[in-house]
Amino acid sequence: MGREFNRRVSQLKSQPLLIRLLWRALSIPDAGPEISDRIVAFDAQTFQRQPVSKEAVVNEFLLLENRTAAEIARSLPEKSEGMLDPEAMDRLLIKVHCEMQRLSEEFQHGQRVAEVLDSLLQSLRDNHVRPPLRIVDIGCGTGFVIRWLTRHKSLGEDVELLGADYHPALIEEAARLAAAENLSCRFVVGNAFRLAQPATIYISTGILHHFRGPDLIDLFSQHNRESTCAFLHFDFHSSSLSPFGSWLFHKVRMREPLAIHDGVLSAVRAHTPQKLLSAARSGAPEFVSAIYGTRLWRLPIPRAFHSLVGVRPPYRSDFLSRMGRKVNVLGVIE
Amino acid sequence: MTAFLLWFLATLDGAFTGYREAAGRSALIDKRRYFRRAMIKGALFAQIAVVIAAVVVIVSIMLVTDGQDLVRAYDRAGAHMLFIYVPYAVMMLVGFLFRLIPSVDIRSITSTVIFGPFTLIRPVVAVLGLAYGIASAARPATIIPGLIVLSMMLSLETVLTFWRKQA
Repeated sequence: MGREFNRRVSQLKSQPLLIRLLWRALSIPDAGPEISDRIVAFDAQTFQRQPVSKEAVVNEFLLLENRTAAEIARSLPEKSEGMLDPEAMDRLLIKVHCEMQRLSEEFQHGQRVAEVLDSLLQSLRDNHVRPPLRIVDIGCGTGFVIRWLTRHKSLGEDVELLGADYHPALIEEAARLAAAENLSCRFVVGNAFRLAQPATIYISTGILHHFRGPDLIDLFSQHNRESTCAFLHFDFHSSSLSPFGSWLFHKVRMREPLAIHDGVLSAVRAHTPQKLLSAARSGAPEFVSAIYGTRLWRLPIPRAFHSLVGVRPPYRSDFLSRMGRKVNVLGVIE
Repeated sequence: MTAFLLWFLATLDGAFTGYREAAGRSALIDKRRYFRRAMIKGALFAQIAVVIAAVVVIVSIMLVTDGQDLVRAYDRAGAHMLFIYVPYAVMMLVGFLFRLIPSVDIRSITSTVIFGPFTLIRPVVAVLGLAYGIASAARPATIIPGLIVLSMMLSLETVLTFWRKQA
């Protein structure tokens, strides 16, 4: 973490003075982690909830000179002996996910995912991949993407939609929301890569930047399963404009200070397309990967989100032909 | 005509404030009914501001000896406010027109270029419009109803949130 912090600071120092001043004036955080990464903890094997010391969280942010995050952490409710109140943290994270969904809706994220997924699924059908075509959303939170895809029935009857997350409260909320709208999708607490019925396509939104260094390569290496034909991961596009754009939208649209802080920091921490491609190729060499959505149409304007797509070589040409002119519209780095 | 346009813009602003206040609070996928109700509530709450301002305007006209002059001053102030408010409203409506185009990119651009930044500058536009109106009317009597409407419209979202918590 210390190395990453130093890298971000030196990166910031290399920016023009005006950018640096603006960065400071808007209190844009320099480096991770995000507050939501620290206020809940689970055992990776048993998924048992672990207590989190509030003081430890506050001190970690103070050490990183992230005073905004330290203040937000300091304001969080305690249960006993200086430990954060787990139920209050669950309620807070559900609220934050609800606010995040607002941005996803505004930026048409459901439709955006559906457009690429549709081409991926068609290419698998062209190659007679046996149904059901199971799509698993890694770190689905309250399951917006899975619920949106189910509600709009845009992918076909042979598709099974499943969301997985470590956090039981978020999964419970996802299931509650799905039931409220009679949606047939499923949500499970657990590791998306250790499900009894593995995914045909793994998808995710906004999780890649949480994985740093070897953890990112390790994440991709878990895609190397016989039954997995493709993956599609959306995350913030790293550019010098993205922290400012992210700041504007989180200030205008979000209410929870934690949501604003973490949302802006997500854009700051976003991996470059080159880094994502390099990690995907190291971790998942069985797949042909590329980044889509690098620029807006043919203009040199970066998009807020880009997507890392990996497909097994036999499906690649059909995928590209199914994408058609969308590839040019999205822009691609291979 | 000026009064009608100001009422229309205040109602429109109230409806969108209702939408904004409701957004990010429901995680359902289909929220058309939820947002429709929120917009109606916002528009109705805006009428309270309009009615209070109208009462203040009428009372002030009744209290002064040169009532006709004051009516003209109000009209002048309102017309100048519209110089600021109408272009703002037109930009927002243009955004909605573009949003009708079934393209994820075009719809996202409307947020990036219009809805996001214009929501951010809304309080500034509201204050500028009022200041321009009051300055052009050159009658101190126009300040009070102007400030009442301004403060009520700018606090509408907070009031709606308070109402939601009470309900």
